[in-house]
Amino acid sequence: MSAIMHSDPALQKTHAELLYEAQLRKSRQFNVWVSATWGGLFLILVYLFSGQSILGIRTISLNLEFMQKNLSFIAGGVWQTLLVSFLSISMAIVLALIAALGRLSKFPPFYALSTFYVSLIRGTPLYLQIFFFFLALPQLGIVLTGLFAGVIALGLNYGAYMSEIFRAGLASVGRGQREAAMALGMTPWQTMKRIILPQALRFAIPPIGNDFIAMTKDSALVSATGFVHEIMWRATRVGRAQFNNLEALIMAAVFYWLMTIILTYVQSIIEARLAKGDR
Amino acid sequence: MAPIVKISNLDKYFGLLHVLKDVSIEVQPREVVCLIGRSGSGKSTLLRCINFLEDPSRGVIEVDGIRVEIHNGTTREHRQAVHDIRLRTGMVFQEFNLFPHMSVLENVIEGPVTVKGMDRKQAIELAEQNLDSVGLLFKKDEYPNRLSGGQKQRVAIARALTMQPRVMLFDEPTSALDPELIGEVLNVMQKVAKDGMTMLVVTHEMGFAREVADRVLVMADGQIIEEAKPDVLFSQPQDPRTKALIERYRSGER
Ligand SMILES: Nc1ncnc2c1ncn2[C@@H]1O[C@H](COP(=O)(O)OP(=O)(O)OP(=O)(O)O)[C@@H](O)[C@H]1O
Ligand SMILES: [Mg+2]
Repeated sequence: MSAIMHSDPALQKTHAELLYEAQLRKSRQFNVWVSATWGGLFLILVYLFSGQSILGIRTISLNLEFMQKNLSFIAGGVWQTLLVSFLSISMAIVLALIAALGRLSKFPPFYALSTFYVSLIRGTPLYLQIFFFFLALPQLGIVLTGLFAGVIALGLNYGAYMSEIFRAGLASVGRGQREAAMALGMTPWQTMKRIILPQALRFAIPPIGNDFIAMTKDSALVSATGFVHEIMWRATRVGRAQFNNLEALIMAAVFYWLMTIILTYVQSIIEARLAKGDR
Repeated sequence: MAPIVKISNLDKYFGLLHVLKDVSIEVQPREVVCLIGRSGSGKSTLLRCINFLEDPSRGVIEVDGIRVEIHNGTTREHRQAVHDIRLRTGMVFQEFNLFPHMSVLENVIEGPVTVKGMDRKQAIELAEQNLDSVGLLFKKDEYPNRLSGGQKQRVAIARALTMQPRVMLFDEPTSALDPELIGEVLNVMQKVAKDGMTMLVVTHEMGFAREVADRVLVMADGQIIEEAKPDVLFSQPQDPRTKALIERYRSGER
C-alpha cells in the first residue's frame, strides 16, 4: 500500500522540473563563487594597504589620520564631478543628435558640418581639447569660467563620439516606419519627432548610460586646469600639499569606483524596465 | 462620372531602369480595382507613385480633383498638392508598418490628431468605431508586438480608414501573412469595399479579385497589358502573358 502512495503522480517531479532545478542550482552556485572570489580579491587589496607584516611580507601602511581629516573634503568633489558629468552629457546628447541627423542629411552643408565636427574632435586628444578651452582661449581674450570651459570641452568631445550611437539608433528604425508616416500625410519634421526619434532614443538609452558612466571618470581631466573642484582636483590638492598623494589618490579611487558601481546598478534597473516595456 | 483617380502617361525610372512605361489608368468612385502581375512588373511602384512615396519621373496624377503634373523641381504648390493627395489616400502595406512604440489606439489616432489637428476626443471616437468594424476594439490598449499578423494588418486598415480617405491603396496586404490569417484580412477588405470605399489593390489573391473586384488590371514590364471584369479576364484572358500568369495562379504558384 505504501509503495502505491509513494508513486502518487502529484508528488512526483517531472523530468523537466528536475532538469530545471539542477540548472537553477548550478547558476546559484556560480553566483556564490563569483561573490566569494570578489570578496577575497577585495580583502587582499585591503590587506596590501593595511600596514601589517604577516608571513614576513611587509604591506603598505597608510596615514589614517590624514585620510580621516580629508575625507569630507574629497567627498565634497563627488557633487562637482556629477554636476560636470551631467551638464556635459546633456550637451553631448544634443550635439550628437544634431551630428547624427547631419550625417544622414542630403543637404551638403549640413552633412559637411557634421562630418567636419566629428573628424576634428576625434582627430585630437580630449586632454588637448580641455586645455584649449582653459588656456588657449584666454589668449584670444575669451575667458570662460572653469566649469563652463570643462563642460564645453567634455560635451563637444563626447558629442562627436556619441553621434555614432544616434546614427545607429536612427538607422535601426525601418524604412517602412517613415513611409507609413508619410502616407498618413505627416511632414518630415512630424515624422522625425513623432515616429523616428522616439524609437531611435529608446535604442540609444543603454549606450548613453555607458557613456555617462565613462564620463564621470573622464571628468577628472578637467581637474588638470585647476578650476573645477571635483574629486580629482581635491585629491591632488591635499595630496601634494602634505605629501600624502598615496592616501589622497586611494580615497579618490574609492569614490570613483563606488560612484561607478552605483550608477551601473541604476543603469541596470533602467534597462530592465526598458526591456520589460519592450514592444 | 468623373474618375476619382486619374493617372496619365506616367513614367518612372529608378536610375536607368525604366520601371513604369507611359501608364495611364482611371478609377471611378466606389470602384474596386485589383492589380495583378508577375514580381517586378511594377505594381508596387505604380501604387506608391499615386501617393508620392516614390517620385514619378513624368506624367500627371490626379486624385479627387487634386492634380499634380510632374516636372523638375518642387514648388510650394506642388508640395501642397502632394500633401493634399496623401490626405485623400490611405495606404496599407505588406509589412503592416504599425508604429511599435504606440498602442493600437494611439496608432489609429496618430494621423487625425497630428496631421489633421483633429480634437483628440473626436479622433478616439472615430478610431474606436473603425477598430470595432475590423473587430479589434478589445485590443485597443495592446502594443503591436502582441498582435498576430492578421490583427496587425486589420489595425493598419483601421489606421488608414480613420484618416477618412477617399481612396484606399493596398500593396499585397496579405502576402506577409500565414495562410490561416489571410481570410480575416480579406473579409475586412471586402467589408470596406461594401461600405463604398474606392480601392486599388495589388494582390495575388485570385479569390478576392474574382469576388470583390469590379475590374482587374494586368501589369507586365511596367505597362498595363490587359484589363477586364474579373470573370471575363479569368475565363478569356487575351494576352499570352496574362494566360501564363493565370495558369501560374491556378497551379498554386506565385
Ligand atoms: N527603390 C528602388 N530602387 C531601384 N529599383 C527598384 C526600386 N524599387 C523597385 N525597383 C525595381 O523596379 C521594378 C518594379 O518593382 P516593383 O516593386 O514595383 O514590382 P512589383 O510588381 O511590386 O513586384 P512584387 O510582386 O515582387 O512586389 C523591379 O525591377 C524592381 O527591382
Ligand atoms: Mg510589390
